[in-house]
Amino acid sequence: MTTTASIWTLHFHSSSFPIPILSSEVRFRRYLEFACNCKNCTSRSTLRKFIVRAVSSDDDKRLRDEVIVNNSSKDNAAKTQQNPVAMFQESISSLPLLVFKTGKYSGVSFTVGLCIVATLLIIVVKGYAARKSRHNRPGSVADLVRRGQLRSDRRGISTPLKYEDPFNNPMVKVSKSNSSVEMCGKVYRLAPVTLTEEEQSVHQKRRSRAYQWKRPTMFLKEGESVPPDVDPDTVRWIPANHPFATTSSDIDEDLAQNNVYQKHGVPFRIQAEHEALQRKLEALQNEQKLNKLVIDPAAARDFERPLKSHLKSGDQVEQSTSNPKSSPNPPKSDRAHNSCEQTNL
Amino acid sequence: MVSLQLLTNPKTSPLYCHTFSPKTLKNKPRTLTVNSLLQYNRKPQLAGEAPRVVVITSGKGGVGKTTTAANISLSLARLGFSVVAIDADVGLRNLDLLLGLENRVNYTVFEILNGDCRLDQALVRDKRWSNFELLCISKPRSKLPIGFGAKALVWLVDALKGREEGTPDFVLIDCPAGIDAGFITAISPANEAVLVTTPDITSLRDADRVTGLLECDGIRDIKMIVNRVRTDMIKGEDMMSVLDVQEMLGLPLLGVIPEDTEVIRSTNRGHPLVLNRPPALAGLAFEQAAWRLVEQDSMKAVMMEEEPKKRGFFSLFGG
Repeated sequence: MTTTASIWTLHFHSSSFPIPILSSEVRFRRYLEFACNCKNCTSRSTLRKFIVRAVSSDDDKRLRDEVIVNNSSKDNAAKTQQNPVAMFQESISSLPLLVFKTGKYSGVSFTVGLCIVATLLIIVVKGYAARKSRHNRPGSVADLVRRGQLRSDRRGISTPLKYEDPFNNPMVKVSKSNSSVEMCGKVYRLAPVTLTEEEQSVHQKRRSRAYQWKRPTMFLKEGESVPPDVDPDTVRWIPANHPFATTSSDIDEDLAQNNVYQKHGVPFRIQAEHEALQRKLEALQNEQKLNKLVIDPAAARDFERPLKSHLKSGDQVEQSTSNPKSSPNPPKSDRAHNSCEQTNL
Repeated sequence: MVSLQLLTNPKTSPLYCHTFSPKTLKNKPRTLTVNSLLQYNRKPQLAGEAPRVVVITSGKGGVGKTTTAANISLSLARLGFSVVAIDADVGLRNLDLLLGLENRVNYTVFEILNGDCRLDQALVRDKRWSNFELLCISKPRSKLPIGFGAKALVWLVDALKGREEGTPDFVLIDCPAGIDAGFITAISPANEAVLVTTPDITSLRDADRVTGLLECDGIRDIKMIVNRVRTDMIKGEDMMSVLDVQEMLGLPLLGVIPEDTEVIRSTNRGHPLVLNRPPALAGLAFEQAAWRLVEQDSMKAVMMEEEPKKRGFFSLFGG
């Protein structure tokens, strides 16, 4: 800046301050000390010192303009030139200094500009996110638009519906001239269904001739004879090694039908187990007092649900009812020990 | 799917053949068949008498019966109808896996017949949709007499009609593969059938056979769902088109389900496809098929993929 100022000041002074140029000689002496190395412009950091002295031959007037620019040159080269061409060369060579100086200050302005741009970007992004969240807020008017109750173009919501409304999707473009539709990047043509009632009946007649089938009502094993009053077309022969079939019905049909239509009451198995448990509790209560009722491990095993069939559970009930009679009552110390164990559990 | 969109916009569709307004629907008696349009902002009106017992069958295994049963039944539940889904596969049970209810199945029809539990105790109510219930025929390795299963299923459907919670609107029966005893058991109580097929010749042949058996058994209301459709292969003429399938079978179309990888993911999660957010294409197709099932409607047009139009230079300027 100083260099620039120096140069322009020099020019300024030369233009603003009219120096009477006499016919006599005007000696213009300028001392320039600067590093003039055009190849190493970037390493140069100089301030020039110009001493300009205008000396008039007229002794009455002496004007002395001095523009002093300090010059501190790092380079060793120093030139003193009085040739205008050389001066021009020097001015050109001083330009990298100007660039260097402006570069120093442009770094600061660049940083400032970057901060301003980043701030503006953050503001824009926040505004966009806020606007988007306003539309996505549950229960907002955007939900009505999404559901198709309100038209979006009236409200200025320009986001097209992509998936919510498949029947009024602006992403699906229907051509008005021909029956073509553009959807998901592909073009589809609508082809009308041409099946008529007559063609349907023709197919039905064809199938009735080709496939003669009657629902089987009788299932017989190999070796069994067909009853005389049964249509042979309704008989189905079951192979002996069929994995999931049995021809002998283990299930009583009437009972099964009653079970299907059963609406109220506890099912049979659960009811039977409940009754067995009730009998066990009553038997225990008859033998022990209610306030000293202790569940000892031997009796607890009797309350376990039998894993196998109902008949076996009935046997266990009989055994448990007979066991308390045969085995002696545990001593009082054991009862106390068991009660402590139970409370700890 | 798009045909329905066209039908909702009468100005653009040349295929639009029936117009109606919701007000006129209210005056119509409930039992009449309704030819209606899919509209996003209204509930479909139930056509026919409740309960509508529908069997979902195919003949060939692996075409998507159980997936269709799970998704359509949940779609119906979401539309507000009470649904009971029955897995009629005696030996191999899968519907509970697709619905994510495998840990909640304690009692089956086998226990009901034995008297070990009541019917309402064997019904598994879905916690996501309280109007959806699942009933499994049996646990693996359990034996049910052949021929007895058909009667049992008829008794069950009859018992469901007379239960205290009221008659369910839909009873969907997931039929096992084949035309054996399991198939006979599953179709016994049904009044309608949904035939699931894929656009390949093996599936079509089995579907035709099953359709013949259903018609012999007295089930006349049979509609078709074409599953695992690849529009790119149809465009390249490597796969039969949906219209070709219809021409071979001669059945009205209930739905066209595109091939979608989300089906496998939803099976792994135990989360049916129709509950996905955002919805998958196959899930949307299942929802629309459920809509048509409620109103006893069928598809009027199908989508055929075409080459996109080559845009000229001036199309950049909006031409």
